[in-house]
Amino acid sequence: MSVARTHFPAYSRARMESPVHPAVSRDAGLAEAAIASEADIRSGLTENLARLWRYGLVLSHQRDVADDLVQATCLRALERADQFIPGTRLDRWLFSILHSIWLNEIRSRRVRQGQGFVDAGETLTFDGAHDTETHVMAGQVLKQVNALPEAQRTVIFLAYVEGLSYREVAGILDIPIGTVMSRLAAARAKLSGAGSEGGRQ
Amino acid sequence: MNTKHTIPSDEDLTAFIDGELTAEEAARIEAIVNEDESTAERLEFLARASLPFKQAFAPLLAEAPRQKLETMLAAIPAEPSTKSNATAAFAGRRRFLGALAASLVAGIAIDRAVIGIGRSFSAKDENSEWRAVVADYISLYTPETLAGPVPERDVQAAQLAGLDEKLGLSLSPEAVSLPGIDFKRALMLQYDGKPLAQVAYLDPETGPMALCIVKSDAGRKAPDLESRKGLNVIYWSNETHAFMLIGRIPADRMKELGEDVRRRLSA
Repeated sequence: MSVARTHFPAYSRARMESPVHPAVSRDAGLAEAAIASEADIRSGLTENLARLWRYGLVLSHQRDVADDLVQATCLRALERADQFIPGTRLDRWLFSILHSIWLNEIRSRRVRQGQGFVDAGETLTFDGAHDTETHVMAGQVLKQVNALPEAQRTVIFLAYVEGLSYREVAGILDIPIGTVMSRLAAARAKLSGAGSEGGRQ
Repeated sequence: MNTKHTIPSDEDLTAFIDGELTAEEAARIEAIVNEDESTAERLEFLARASLPFKQAFAPLLAEAPRQKLETMLAAIPAEPSTKSNATAAFAGRRRFLGALAASLVAGIAIDRAVIGIGRSFSAKDENSEWRAVVADYISLYTPETLAGPVPERDVQAAQLAGLDEKLGLSLSPEAVSLPGIDFKRALMLQYDGKPLAQVAYLDPETGPMALCIVKSDAGRKAPDLESRKGLNVIYWSNETHAFMLIGRIPADRMKELGEDVRRRLSA
């Protein structure tokens, strides 16, 4: 074991990096760090626009609402760039921002305005005619998932489409892991039941 | 969690299917499943909901109004007003191109949640799990999936070259050709974050077939036959990669084809 401790990368990095900024005033150094992190958030947003939009569509079932959700998420993320913890997953952070905007602002506003929600089947379709293979089963799976209640639909999407762990899903939705599990179990029971009724193998 | 003899809840079984349990918890569930028929049935019932979610939702990524969203993002002013916008926009665009390329891969990513559960609950075995996922995926193929003309040799070579880099291979149309069976396309997929090469073929008699390759350091393994989802599979591995050939072609013929391809790939 002692062999493995012969060198400390953390120490050597600290020694090498510390002399980089001494000539710059403290304030200038901080400003530079803030700018760099905002640029990081911006490029992270750019990379994740389509995934965020898709999540917005899954939540709202409406394209224009998905557009709004992404825009609000971009604004909020850039405003709060300093709250992002470097080294953690930016996409998870963005998803949680989008989810809280949906939950706290957009959804409640729409419900209050009495607009309700359009039929899931209408909006969540796509022009997949050029891609037979995807087209064949995609419509069926989409339809089944979209028929689930929002709470179940959301965990199915985050866990099985985005491939997040239970812990990550719980973090984004701000709910206990046990709740993630029970929603997934209930969704699975529903999907399996629907599957057999539909005469799937 | 439950004590040893209590029946696992749907939550326990779901976490088991999703690979979210610790090794001990998973072993406990597996033991109960092996002993208790009703638990085994419940597990299979819940596992039936392991649908190809990723593939189903992938087309929605392409539906996102990227240009509109990009423009919207670019229109948000930088927080401290001293920002060099030109640089940020340029970096943004380069990242955007990268993201586009990445999304092409993500768009055809295989759903790792799809576990072929069958009767053997060996979900922990990484080497068999990728084959279960491929079998699930290929079982959705129909001859129409692979309709269209057979690509020319240079097109085949170009498609294969695209796989070589990611997988550290050197595939030629000759090495992967199957006698009497049409080469249809070579695709880069992704399994559990790792590149997965798929060469798809169409057998005029039995329909779609595929040769799939992933990087694997599990070690050399002689060819073996198995059946998954009603498809026959011959699989083997060398020091660097794991291979599988899958299709509805009869087992004997599959064995011959697999061994033939294996010889040419290792030549």
